[in-house]
Amino acid sequence: MTTQTSRPGPDGYNESTATGAAARNLRFDPVTRVSGDLAVHASADFGGSRRVGDAVAMATTFRGYEIICAGRDARDAVFISSRACGVCGDAHSICSALALEMACGIQPPPMGIVARNFLSATECLTDHPGHLFLRAGPDYSEPVVRHTSPELWTRAEATPAAGAAVHRFARVSDIMTALTRNRGRLYREALHMSRVAREANVVIGGKYPHPQTITPGGVSSTVDTTDFNLVLLRATKFLDYSRRVVAVWDDLTSYFYEADGRFAAVGEGPKNFLDLGLWDDPLSYDGRFANAASWGENRWSTPGAIVDGVLQSTDPRQIDAGVEEFVEHSFYENWSGESRSSDLHGNPLSQRHPSNKRTLPQPGSTDPGGRYSWSTAARWQGHPMETGAQARMWATALAAQQPHGSFVESTGRSLRMSMPKAQMPATLLEWQIPQRWNAFERNRARAYALAQATLAAYENVVIGLDLARRGGPNARIFNPYKIPKDGVTGAGYWGGARGYVSHHVQLADRVIENYQIVGPSTFSGSPRDGAGRPGPCEAAVMATPLVSSDPSQHGIDVLRAIRSFDLCMYCATH
Amino acid sequence: MAYAVGDFGGFSGGETSLDGGRVVHVFWLSGMSCDGCSVAMLGAISPSVEDLTLGTIPGVPRVVLHHSMLDEDCGAGFMEAFRQAAEGTLEAPYVVVVEGSVPDDQSFGGPGHFAAMGSGSDWPQSKGSAAYGEQPLRATDWMWALAPGAAACIAIGTCATWGGIPAAAGNITGSMGLTDYLGPSYRSARGLPVVNVPGCPPIGDNFTETLKDLLGYFEGSRALPEFDELGRPVWQFGETVHRHCPKAGYYEEGVFSHEPGDNQCLVEIGCWGPVVQCNIVERGAINHMGGCMVAGGACIGCTMPGFPDKFSPFYKAPPGSAISGGVSKVTGGAIRRLRRMSMANANTEPLWDNAHEIPTAWSRAADITHPVRKINSFFYKKLQYAGSVNHAKRNKKQPLPQSRDILRQKGVDMEASVPVLQEHLISREEL
Repeated sequence: MTTQTSRPGPDGYNESTATGAAARNLRFDPVTRVSGDLAVHASADFGGSRRVGDAVAMATTFRGYEIICAGRDARDAVFISSRACGVCGDAHSICSALALEMACGIQPPPMGIVARNFLSATECLTDHPGHLFLRAGPDYSEPVVRHTSPELWTRAEATPAAGAAVHRFARVSDIMTALTRNRGRLYREALHMSRVAREANVVIGGKYPHPQTITPGGVSSTVDTTDFNLVLLRATKFLDYSRRVVAVWDDLTSYFYEADGRFAAVGEGPKNFLDLGLWDDPLSYDGRFANAASWGENRWSTPGAIVDGVLQSTDPRQIDAGVEEFVEHSFYENWSGESRSSDLHGNPLSQRHPSNKRTLPQPGSTDPGGRYSWSTAARWQGHPMETGAQARMWATALAAQQPHGSFVESTGRSLRMSMPKAQMPATLLEWQIPQRWNAFERNRARAYALAQATLAAYENVVIGLDLARRGGPNARIFNPYKIPKDGVTGAGYWGGARGYVSHHVQLADRVIENYQIVGPSTFSGSPRDGAGRPGPCEAAVMATPLVSSDPSQHGIDVLRAIRSFDLCMYCATH
Repeated sequence: MAYAVGDFGGFSGGETSLDGGRVVHVFWLSGMSCDGCSVAMLGAISPSVEDLTLGTIPGVPRVVLHHSMLDEDCGAGFMEAFRQAAEGTLEAPYVVVVEGSVPDDQSFGGPGHFAAMGSGSDWPQSKGSAAYGEQPLRATDWMWALAPGAAACIAIGTCATWGGIPAAAGNITGSMGLTDYLGPSYRSARGLPVVNVPGCPPIGDNFTETLKDLLGYFEGSRALPEFDELGRPVWQFGETVHRHCPKAGYYEEGVFSHEPGDNQCLVEIGCWGPVVQCNIVERGAINHMGGCMVAGGACIGCTMPGFPDKFSPFYKAPPGSAISGGVSKVTGGAIRRLRRMSMANANTEPLWDNAHEIPTAWSRAADITHPVRKINSFFYKKLQYAGSVNHAKRNKKQPLPQSRDILRQKGVDMEASVPVLQEHLISREEL
């Protein structure tokens, strides 16, 4: 193992002065530009093979949200569990409300559902630009490309950008300049647009990132005509913006593929995806476990478990029932004791299923061969699964059953999105399921997911206006409820901007007995499981060839692979 | 002698704060955080994070932000500046910002952490050698190592200020706020105890504004911002949120929401606003938009040291509201009725009083000639114009305009035209 010291280099970038041979340990501790605290250690050969060897991904923070929830009044669950993640507080509070609704037999009215959809969609509109331009984007920016692969920069200066008519950057190098941290136009525009989305969000949610209006039975928002106008006019700003973002990432992806075919292997991984769907149909969702297949499949974004590119199920109950959490390499004791062996539908549940889990933290020494992460290793039917906006795109495109045909059409091979006119004319954006699955395709899928979320936000405002126009009970925003005294259990199946979120609640005497949270990065950012299978991010790092010349051995391609997952380690570990 | 101010970067202001000028490093440390404070900070606009990092505000030094969610470099390259700051070799002043509760992991007998950043080789040797070799460094290591040399130490969010949710009953992490962790003896290199900007999440602008004004103070371009006895910015947290709440008027008139979604005062569905120090209803969550009660969300006290345990169970009316709400229903209810009478009078143009009608098809025959209304109006005006003149009354003899009701005069028969759109004659609930 060589030691790495660093001194400030040009562009504020630190020159690594790796002593010793081409083989060295990359210690990204911390990995910056991800959400939450993540460290990745990997061995890399910058000499002959230019391959990465072993890699471990470590979640380095634990808070105790599941432990805090236990023993509290059931009414506290939404506001407490929301705080598990400050990037997707809307996702966690809605998911918590869904879990309580299932447990207590509560059905929110359509307008309440539409309001939640809108909060959830605008959260995506804040978060996707954040990933694409604040976190991942700088890895493709002028200073970083010049520094890590001068040959790519020279080439970019001579490469016209195919989407110039849409995004207004003549050459690929202009896009890279615009991606520059702090100063670049795309960087600053992303900050601005994420604020536009938040403005829309807080009109309904009160504040961001932790909303103050989500409750079982709907929302407590008071929405008047001005509010409808404020949110509509902000959601529609994303019609043009998402067209431009898609064009930018299409051009970047093509550029890297053409510059060197080996970039298609950066961050490459199996086509295993898990998502619980997002945005409920206001007339389908009723909070009942028995009807979950139907309301799940009627979501804008279809739930799906995909293994090796093949769709296994779109029933959120089957998706959830297949989940297990392993702690052999995590800082927890294994739990035992009473557990449910099947759900109400008869799907078998493992002792490792989240609803059977108990959170037993056991902090200690970090050992890459032993315990090294605060994240559990979540698996689906034994498979490491990828989650996120990309999983949402995959499941919705493959299933070809999403019912909301006004703007989005699922073809089984692609997702066709009809973008209404704004300043730019109406256009069709089509995301095609890619042949190879790698870092570039993850980012590209997320760019298209921005368009999908834009349409979900827009259509839900339109539906909200229509419900208000028709009036009656469907225009109510909240239905009163009672928490039963008996012991009840429920699960929330939902998603954040980063995908898969489930909450599992067990109540006795109106008090929370057990509360468990599974976030998207509990899958994507997980450590090895008991069988030694690496988590998806770990596997993608190990699959990454060191394509860029990277004279200072920074490991840029490895970082591109890591960041393409848009990990949130606070969702991963609670 | 002419009045002169220093350090705003004019002809005599010395170095400007743009590139090449003075910089202040800001080290962002996260304890048991959720990134929500960082996300809130990114949403701020007055100033925005890019205003600070690009150094666009005269009189305020440019901020070099070391934040793991935003930094270009990572690993040892990212940690280098943290090490230099702790060693005292940074050669620029720095501010420490802490997000998230402070776990009690310094008490572990061996290696282990609840929140970590960097590893042994990143550790400043002048602070003693790293306790456990190449093991992860605890966030709490960085806090004690960096806080004493900082020009200021700012706790952002309710976790870092008071402990917040990770310090709630039942948790096993022993979490606390930064003030508890550093202890009562703590002062920054410029003599400041921990500055606290609470909220879960905080309003991003509350933080960026406080940071900017502190930097302006260090630069000599403004006075030290005012803080209260718990280190909160007074201009942000000096009032209860209820005083500026758009629904406070309902409370005054004794009208309360019965369930979520109702538009009236939210106290009876669990709002703690009358005893919570916060400015979200006047400042908004972002860009003067949103804000909990503005959007219909009841205040759960998320800026307060007692949050969450002293405000839960949520959605249950605070005990004190039984008295104050009850009184308000009686007195406020009476006042509301009197106000509605005055308002009925204010809602008629004097011309209509003279003509004894409200000339619009919108109006459903409000009887402005009702004797009760006339008597009320008589006494009201007596009081209103006592010691002054009733100018309108003196002009009462003025003739009505001749072209009033021009359509009828011209023989345009609207009765034969389309009927009034009944849908628009919705009955409004009584105010």
